[in-house]
Amino acid sequence: MKRRGWALLVCLAAACRPREAPRPRESVATPAAAVRAPSTASVPPVAETPLDGGVLRRRLVAEPTTLNAVLQSSAPEAEVLQYVQRNLVDFDDRMRLVPGLAERWEASADGLEYTLTIRGDAVWEDGKPVTARDVAFTIGRITDPKVPSNVYKPLFEELVSVEVVDDRTLRVRFKTRYAFREMAFAIPVLSERSFAGQDFLRARANRSPLASGPYRVASWKTQEAITLERNPRYPGPPGHFDRIVFRMVPDDTTAYRMLTAGELDEDQLNPGLKDRALRDGDFLGCCRLVEFYDLDYNYVALNNRSPLFADARVRRAMTMLLDRASIVRGLYKGSARIVSGPWSPDSPAYDPGLPALPFDPPGAARLLSEAGWRDTNGNGTRDKDGKEFEFDLLVSEGSEVGRQIDEMLASELAKVGVTAHVRMVEWGSFVERVDAGDFAAASLAWSAVDPNPDPYYYWHSSQCAPKGLNAGCYGNPEADRLMEEARLERDEGRRTEQYHRLHRIFRDEAPAIFVVNASKKFAFGDAIRGATGSPLSFFFWPGPLAWWQSTPAPAAATPAPASARPAA
Amino acid sequence: MIRYVVRRLLLAVPTLLGITVVVFLLVHLAPGSPGLGGPGSLRRATGRAAEEMRRLYGLDRPLPERFGKWMSRVVRFDMGESFVDHRPVSERIREALPNTLLLNGTALLLALLIAIPLGVVAGGHPDGTFDRVSAGALFALYSMPTFWAALLLQTLLAVQLRWLPLYGLASDSPPAGFAGVLDRLSHLALPATCLTYGALAFVARLVRSGVAEARASDYVLAARARGASRRQALWRHAFRNALVPLLTLVGLMLPALLSGSVIVERIFVWPGLGQLYLDSILSRDYPVILALSLLSAAVTLLATLASDIAAAVADPRVRDGTVS
Repeated sequence: MKRRGWALLVCLAAACRPREAPRPRESVATPAAAVRAPSTASVPPVAETPLDGGVLRRRLVAEPTTLNAVLQSSAPEAEVLQYVQRNLVDFDDRMRLVPGLAERWEASADGLEYTLTIRGDAVWEDGKPVTARDVAFTIGRITDPKVPSNVYKPLFEELVSVEVVDDRTLRVRFKTRYAFREMAFAIPVLSERSFAGQDFLRARANRSPLASGPYRVASWKTQEAITLERNPRYPGPPGHFDRIVFRMVPDDTTAYRMLTAGELDEDQLNPGLKDRALRDGDFLGCCRLVEFYDLDYNYVALNNRSPLFADARVRRAMTMLLDRASIVRGLYKGSARIVSGPWSPDSPAYDPGLPALPFDPPGAARLLSEAGWRDTNGNGTRDKDGKEFEFDLLVSEGSEVGRQIDEMLASELAKVGVTAHVRMVEWGSFVERVDAGDFAAASLAWSAVDPNPDPYYYWHSSQCAPKGLNAGCYGNPEADRLMEEARLERDEGRRTEQYHRLHRIFRDEAPAIFVVNASKKFAFGDAIRGATGSPLSFFFWPGPLAWWQSTPAPAAATPAPASARPAA
Repeated sequence: MIRYVVRRLLLAVPTLLGITVVVFLLVHLAPGSPGLGGPGSLRRATGRAAEEMRRLYGLDRPLPERFGKWMSRVVRFDMGESFVDHRPVSERIREALPNTLLLNGTALLLALLIAIPLGVVAGGHPDGTFDRVSAGALFALYSMPTFWAALLLQTLLAVQLRWLPLYGLASDSPPAGFAGVLDRLSHLALPATCLTYGALAFVARLVRSGVAEARASDYVLAARARGASRRQALWRHAFRNALVPLLTLVGLMLPALLSGSVIVERIFVWPGLGQLYLDSILSRDYPVILALSLLSAAVTLLATLASDIAAAVADPRVRDGTVS
């Protein structure tokens, strides 16, 4: 229940990935990154050689529902499977596609067909080779109407055929060209044999999958822990830890306690716990923070079909009435960045040189008046053609940050004569109303599952809710054209330029109030090394497989008593 | 007596049926749908994926048809399979049930064992020092939020003193034999305490008021006059009279044995039914929600029935119909 915003997920169709190297990420020098334990005696020399051995104990916020990679639908599942199943191709920490089980992939001249070659040394944990048939089987299951593969289905909506050429070669054909098509191959591969003669949804392999990655599942105790051990047949470099233990700990505070008591090595902290950690002697004595920005951001969707928000001047005014700078300072203690379009600043589509609209209530008031919203009846609320400027601002229950942002917005709106009622709505109803386009304004969080920056499905006028995912039903012919062009543009430089033009339109037309991209905060035990985040959080290759422990073995087995730790 | 029991049992059938219909309608008419995604969800099912999912789980069928299908399975004690992990619902419940029974059973037992003597002693001297002090203490406990008490206990006993484990059912590699039992008990101690202390107040106060009332009555006075000791008069005569409302109360508390406590389970990482219920609601896992609701409805009915029968046994006037 960590993320209660509206998990919309990025990417739908996928494809040919950007050829240019993405901009170097901003080095995130948040105050937290500088925090170190007072007991710095254990700080190692600068250049370190990773040590092997030990046990890594990670936290899962919930029980994985399956370890069938095609059926995975939540972060806990992805976190475990990352060690167990190699993808056909992977994203690296800069969102570039790198070889996984496939060593090569080539597009045909018309861009419709891809030929993929499986590595010669790729094997399952039982020693049998990973074949093109396994890949075909996997894609077949993803597209099977009887298989709920929510994460991967959208990647193959335009699939025409999959052809196994030989054991190591596969041809995949799509209906249309698409600039991000190659991203469709960032999928796991299942072993066809382990599902033979079994119902796919109920197969034994769904709880003990056949591994192709550096680790395999050693045990799964329901609602308690999943333990992984090294897969001795993995052909690549082995992982550093002997074992990985995932503990299911639903409660944030308990997880934090376990971390400071030395019973967990890693945990994601919510903003409240981060503040507490920085003042907590126990924490500073055992652990450190790793903080970075990813592709998620939050925004307030405005229903462009509503007479209130049909006029771009009104929407601009809404953005100018939200004091994002003070949200960054107050709500996020500096660890967030204002966004002015539907991407994180780390996305290549985002133009870092484009200034966001300022917080400017008098300017906003002028825009509202220009658009015809004036308080003609003297009741304190602006009106136009007999309609009062009054609306409900929806936020999903449990989204504390969303609620606070909405309250700030509502109080600024009140000062310029606009009445917004902040309404908490239960998650299920919230999603239903947003999907149906049945709202005036709603606080949402965008959570990216891959780096595809294509905004087509969410902001193109052809995708209006309830049929499509453009919940606020934004539409602008110029923006439509740019989105259509960019998703077919294979030249990365030109595409980036198109997206930057699009970004400017989004900023000026303000189809929604884009708020901020907040940092992710993870806590690690002092002994854990090599943990670096990325715009994809830890979901990149090699990601957590590069982590290691400076003092393996005993430290993991018996934590020192908490009372023995230096007090702050 | 037998006729009374049979009549009550027969009455329970339509009640259960009614509950079933209401629960089914509530679950299916509530906003949201499977594919909404539970905790940590990566991607909701949208567009075609959502459409396919509805068909896969038969959610595209009309409501009466779905209800009929579900009922026809339920009467055969088949709860179907979870939408989330496709395992039989009964298996998922079986995994969590023993943990919840152990925790809540311990808590209920502890609550009764502590609260009854407290109540009887306090009722023996209404408005005496013990009565006032225990009343104050019990109300303080009763008003203390569980999550707060749980965190305090964790900080003190698990983190600082390290006397008790912080979380979980048992150690990772629990010792065998008696040491293993001790290990389980030490893990049970904190969560059970958290569930016990709140229940103390109302059990103890109920017993106290019953005893205090009976104490002043003629038959207790008569018992004393016949030479019964204070203690005998209190326990054998006054307390027995306070037993009838207590039995009803315990009957009402029994269903809690199953319903689990989400807060305590979450904080102490206790894999029980409460957590399962919450997760299944968040991810709209209809078969699991329905099975758990039905289970707790059935247990509530049975417990009410059991407490009524027990009351009838304890008080002849109830079965004669002179008092209800």
